[in-house]
Amino acid sequence: MIDEKEIFEKVRESIVEALGVDEEDVMPSASLFEDLGAESLDLLDIAFRIEKTFGIKIPRSGIQQDILAAEGIKEEDVLIDGAFTALGAQKLRERMPEIDKDRIYAGFRVDDIPTLFTVQTFVNIVKQVLLEKAGAH
Amino acid sequence: MTIGTDIAEVDRIKKLLSTHGDFISRVFTKQEIAYCQRKKNKYQHFAARFAAKESVMKAVGKGWLQGLNWTDIEVINLPSGEPRINPRGALKKLMKQAKITSFMVSLSHCKEYAIAMVVAQ
Repeated sequence: MIDEKEIFEKVRESIVEALGVDEEDVMPSASLFEDLGAESLDLLDIAFRIEKTFGIKIPRSGIQQDILAAEGIKEEDVLIDGAFTALGAQKLRERMPEIDKDRIYAGFRVDDIPTLFTVQTFVNIVKQVLLEKAGAH
Repeated sequence: MTIGTDIAEVDRIKKLLSTHGDFISRVFTKQEIAYCQRKKNKYQHFAARFAAKESVMKAVGKGWLQGLNWTDIEVINLPSGEPRINPRGALKKLMKQAKITSFMVSLSHCKEYAIAMVVAQ
């Protein structure tokens, strides 16, 4: 199992290549959209590079589905008209502990989740996929 | 009724298609690929379809990490050339949940950019 530092280094390399940013700017807490100037297409580019580097597939099942599946709760308890309820916001904060808690609030829109993404978010996704992959063997 | 819109840079799509071998098959359906490949400005057509897919995701409120595959949203063209959204797989399911019966789509592109506008109703 590769360690988190190694995952971070490789994720950083993918982000540097995709965005053409300086390596020292790609800190774990850096926001891809706000700090590194990424657009939604860049997230796709980064995800494809990471998948190639680690030989994994980033699941399309989604953060939102994780929240529902983990708790066995109804969608309307956490999400109404595409926006998180107070309970949904709490669950999202738990699911994305790397994100500043103030950025996730009741009324936060599910399609704005990618704007929350930090470098650490991708590190966590890779870590989770690698753990699941190791567990499956 | 909800709306979604998106703009895609033609050169970025061209770069992604050339950098990532499986980008084309993971994002576009066979029918979309065949349609775009026939066109002289194929990257403009790929970019317009990409913008349409993003617009549908915005209209239904689910981004690419929230459960929809790109190929669940297919852009087809009527014999007149008018584009239509052909929902597949997870999008069909999602439409039922969200009580969406159809989409309206409008596309436009030039050398540099392609845009799409989608209404879900």
